[in-house]
Amino acid sequence: MSLKKIFDIAIITGLLLGGGSVLLSYLGNPVNSGICLSCFLENLAGAMKLHNEVRMSYIRPELIGFVLGSFLVAKKTKRFRVTGGSSPVIRFFLGLFIILGCAVFIGCPIKMILRLAAGDLTAVAATAGLVAGVWLGTRYIRAGVALDRAGHLPAMNGYLFTIFAILLLVFFFLKPTFIVFGQKGPAALHAPWTVAIAAGLIIGGFAQASGLCITGGIRNLFLVGEKTLFMGVIATLVSAFIVSLVTGQFHPGLHGQPASHLDHFWSFLAMVLVGLASTIIDGCPFRQIIKTGQGDVDAAITSFGMLLGAAIAVGWSLRATSAGPEFGGKIAVLAGLAMCLIIALNYRRPQGLRR
Amino acid sequence: MDWFQRIVLTALVVVIGATGWMLIDHELHAKSSAAHTTDPAMKLQQHYAELQRKNARIFAKIIALKESGKYDAAMNRLKTLMAKHGDNAYGYVLLARLEYAQGSLTNALHAYRKAVELDPDYVDKTTPLFIGTEIMDVITKSRGKINRERKLKPGDPKIRAAVNDIYYLQRRIAGGCE
Repeated sequence: MSLKKIFDIAIITGLLLGGGSVLLSYLGNPVNSGICLSCFLENLAGAMKLHNEVRMSYIRPELIGFVLGSFLVAKKTKRFRVTGGSSPVIRFFLGLFIILGCAVFIGCPIKMILRLAAGDLTAVAATAGLVAGVWLGTRYIRAGVALDRAGHLPAMNGYLFTIFAILLLVFFFLKPTFIVFGQKGPAALHAPWTVAIAAGLIIGGFAQASGLCITGGIRNLFLVGEKTLFMGVIATLVSAFIVSLVTGQFHPGLHGQPASHLDHFWSFLAMVLVGLASTIIDGCPFRQIIKTGQGDVDAAITSFGMLLGAAIAVGWSLRATSAGPEFGGKIAVLAGLAMCLIIALNYRRPQGLRR
Repeated sequence: MDWFQRIVLTALVVVIGATGWMLIDHELHAKSSAAHTTDPAMKLQQHYAELQRKNARIFAKIIALKESGKYDAAMNRLKTLMAKHGDNAYGYVLLARLEYAQGSLTNALHAYRKAVELDPDYVDKTTPLFIGTEIMDVITKSRGKINRERKLKPGDPKIRAAVNDIYYLQRRIAGGCE
């Protein structure tokens, strides 16, 4: 595949991701949360009764679409490779802490972009935090910090997360009694399921083909000056901004922004954690979900960590609300940063890239 | 396929078949017993209707006193009742309305905030309890006065708290995934 083609597909993915997310909000998803991996996982955790907040309990078809779209494209393009075994427990806990960081900011890196594009100035501190976190991660990489190398695994390992996604789809349609579908709050707000699953499949497929990743784009820019994925990130922001303007969802300002708070220091620090941990495990929450569809077992383990993180973020109040970050959320962010520092101490290889 | 694979495959088919049969049977029974009750949306509507009836019963005298303009009497009675029903969000909605009617904007805003914190349904457009429009109306009417007082008394904790309450309520009414 030529460089130009990759460049184009990253931008197309970004345009679809940004514009599609805002359209999903326009069609019924919660405001500024057309696509938000941390919100979707919190909803999924509630639907599976991993927490008791009915307002946050729903199986988002977009999430299933991401996995299946990625799986289908990976299979079609022969990029379905079953790999794993790279520090799985560390990845599980970093996935958990990434979602706790997102919960303290109230949104994943994609939602951060959507909030910025909708004129939410409270997302500026978070953006600075994410960039700082990724920058710190690239310094770690240069210093030789890297998790263990992944190896090939038997094929069935790579199919399990996709089967899990299909099972969720079955639950979505059959609505068994043990799955909770909230009738109020964010759970009651959703775009038509046909649109939601189509958006998930298309964006998931393109994201697999392009490798688009919010933190990965920034990381590549810092690490090697490579702009392909970063242009995809910019395309996400620009398309979300344009569609927000066109659909009347652009409301610039610091106050009165949906699902936000004014504790900028903790927004910054929470996203430092998200940026740093995502760089260590090679991908933002969205990228982790996409990688599960292409047979990456480490990403699947990370995704289960993210699901547990989403459950305890709500169940144990390790998050922020419109009133600001909860005490538990602040502690979780600090614990996550401490874990990243411990990893840096333990996983430094002397032969790492140095400048 | 050797004898080992044949045995394992047969066992697998039996286990999957049994699991599927048990699941379908369980769900059919669960669905039929659930059908005797009501669907979740209907159940929720019944819950809200019951809640509104209960609140109307508990706070009937206070509502009557407020409507006849006897704000002090209504306030005294409400405070007594709220000592007993402290976790009742509707009590705070009534308190906010009484405070607002008496011109106490900062107290009204704080009472609305308490109501929303206790029951987010009051700012949830998908529920019949939604009073977001009423709260935004109070915010719009209060903002000018509170901004003036903020300039006159910079650093006044009560005014600062009222501004925080306004921002909080605006954010909650704006919606989002929370």
